[in-house]
Amino acid sequence: MIRVLLFGAAADRAGTREIELPLEDGATLAEVWSLLAERHPDLVPMRDTLAFAVNGEYARAEDGVSPGDEIAVLPPVSGG
Amino acid sequence: MFAIVEEPLDVGALIRDAQRPDCGAIATFVGTTRIDESEGAVVEYLEYEAYRPMADRKLEEIGAEIEGRWDVGHVSIVHRLGRVDAGEASVAIVVAAPRRGPAFEASRYAIERLKEVVPIWKREVWSDGYVWVGSQVGSREGDSAKP
Repeated sequence: MIRVLLFGAAADRAGTREIELPLEDGATLAEVWSLLAERHPDLVPMRDTLAFAVNGEYARAEDGVSPGDEIAVLPPVSGG
Repeated sequence: MFAIVEEPLDVGALIRDAQRPDCGAIATFVGTTRIDESEGAVVEYLEYEAYRPMADRKLEEIGAEIEGRWDVGHVSIVHRLGRVDAGEASVAIVVAAPRRGPAFEASRYAIERLKEVVPIWKREVWSDGYVWVGSQVGSREGDSAKP
């Protein structure tokens, strides 16, 4: 399993801040996203605006993830 | 000092901490909450959240980038979370440098970079609903995701 954290508008649309997803061997972040989008279809319209982090660092869709990783779904940042 | 805090920012203390005998300039940027108006509604307050500890680490990275690019003696970046009322400070950046040019440039860089890479999000709470700034998701009229 992997833990997926959602923030800001993504947490709002999904209606949750945290979700656990089953992980297949050799999965990529893109595959994690597909699973997440299936369970929370309200996130789909945001896809092009979202960034992802794996274990606290920005990551790309093709990057691999491992069991125990913490994935974060990051809407456009708006600090300041 | 690089910090994310839940209490009001003490800008005076941050400036005092930056004073050094080898620096002749301190540049300070303070971001404050602005009350916008549109179609008869007003922003009542802002609310910030962060992905920690990634956000803390990104602030430190900005500090390291500044030290690699400019001759500075001290850099502080402090961001507030939670509810921030009108006119209050949400972020404070203080850069001390031997000369004013690098102090101005580095403080500008810090706020621009913070707005690009630090995982902090702002929600505007209006008299008629809310909006996540940057995503345009919320409960105000016109939002496609309105519940």
